[in-house]
Amino acid sequence: MRPLFQSFRLFIQQIFRDSMLSAVCIGTLVTALFIRFGVPAIENILCNHFQEEVILAKYYLLFDLMLALITPYMFCFASAMMILTEYDENLTRYLAVTPVGKNGYILSRLVFPALISIVVSVALMHWFSLTAWSFAMTLLTCILTCLMSIAVALLTFAFSHNRVEGLAMAKLSGLLMVGLFVPFFLLTNIQYLFSPLPSFWIAKLCMEQNLIFLWPATLSSLIWITVLYQKFSRKIR
Amino acid sequence: MRTKALLIGDIRFQFKYGFYFLYLVFTILYISLLTVLPVTWRAQAATLMIFTDPAAMGLYFMGAIILFEKSESVLNSIAISPVRSLEYVVSKLISLALISTIVGLLIGFGSGNVSNPIILALGVFLGSCLFSSAGLIVAANIVSLNEFIVATIPVELVINVPALAWLFGWKPGWLILHPGICIIEIIQNGEKALPAMFILLVWTILFALLARRVVDKSLRVLGGGKL
Repeated sequence: MRPLFQSFRLFIQQIFRDSMLSAVCIGTLVTALFIRFGVPAIENILCNHFQEEVILAKYYLLFDLMLALITPYMFCFASAMMILTEYDENLTRYLAVTPVGKNGYILSRLVFPALISIVVSVALMHWFSLTAWSFAMTLLTCILTCLMSIAVALLTFAFSHNRVEGLAMAKLSGLLMVGLFVPFFLLTNIQYLFSPLPSFWIAKLCMEQNLIFLWPATLSSLIWITVLYQKFSRKIR
Repeated sequence: MRTKALLIGDIRFQFKYGFYFLYLVFTILYISLLTVLPVTWRAQAATLMIFTDPAAMGLYFMGAIILFEKSESVLNSIAISPVRSLEYVVSKLISLALISTIVGLLIGFGSGNVSNPIILALGVFLGSCLFSSAGLIVAANIVSLNEFIVATIPVELVINVPALAWLFGWKPGWLILHPGICIIEIIQNGEKALPAMFILLVWTILFALLARRVVDKSLRVLGGGKL
């Protein structure tokens, strides 16, 4: 375990030096504050202006889902950028043959930050969510958004050969999160076209409060992670 | 001649590393999104899309491009070649602005609200050059992607926040001097589009010259100018 923690410490040191750690912490906090206080304020202004009873309030759950996603996504994005930099500088291959190993590398660069992000995400959901959430549901949702963020980070890295392609992939892999919006805006069965996206099932689970959706939400994330991890693994062989 | 060769090289590079493919996907996505939005929202939404994505792409990608060139020692080769820093900067700006302009026009036409395509094209082109210059200035002295992303946050806030406030209705007259607002005003072909064009041109030239200065300095260091 010691090499793993050392590798993780290096990761934290690096993102601290890059100011990315502060950016991620401040970014998530600002987003949380905006969702908790900014969105209801905007709702008031909009309702007064358009003489409607509710406009944004119908989508408060969607804002909460974004709140649950923002922390793991930002942590995993920082990890993906660092993995890309290390890959471009040929450090990844060296690290993979040290006692850290390939699995250890991915654990220290991606899984540990993602696990920490679950704790942060649960705390943010507790203090800043706009709708009522049970602890169990909060925890489940944060674990699922964390799994999805790992898949997004793996996708960013697995299909790129350098930083430039990596950044293009990071932009493209953001599309994996489009599924969060689908059940809110696409009310017909066409919405199931988005079923390969874990975000779609996470939104369904939280909207319908039906645990049956937990299975596709977990499975779709795990399938993405398994497939992408194999590609990742081949890449740093 | 050298600028032309650099430009072709940059376009090839961007094609090879998927910029064109990426923006093909995003253009289709944006246009699809515009078609499902209510007609009254489309013009505003298209402006927002063009301003925050194709126009700003240089700021997003410049860090990765420069870091990649550093790791492949491209900059070392350029430093000892006859290429001038201004030619290098111009090639980067124009090659990225080309994608921005094509994508901007497609999104504009997709929204069905383009009254003057030439003004829109000029606005996106100049806006893209401005953002790319800002990206070059930030990217010249960074060592990692994370560092670049963090360093661009203040630039994005300074350019984007007043521009978005303008887009959503906060329009004091003096704010037209702000470069981000000029881009919005030109994309919308608003009442002040012509003065905005002139102001944006001045900002873009200033930013490009500043980028040239920063690049020149970093190339001199690479080329042994310190000796």
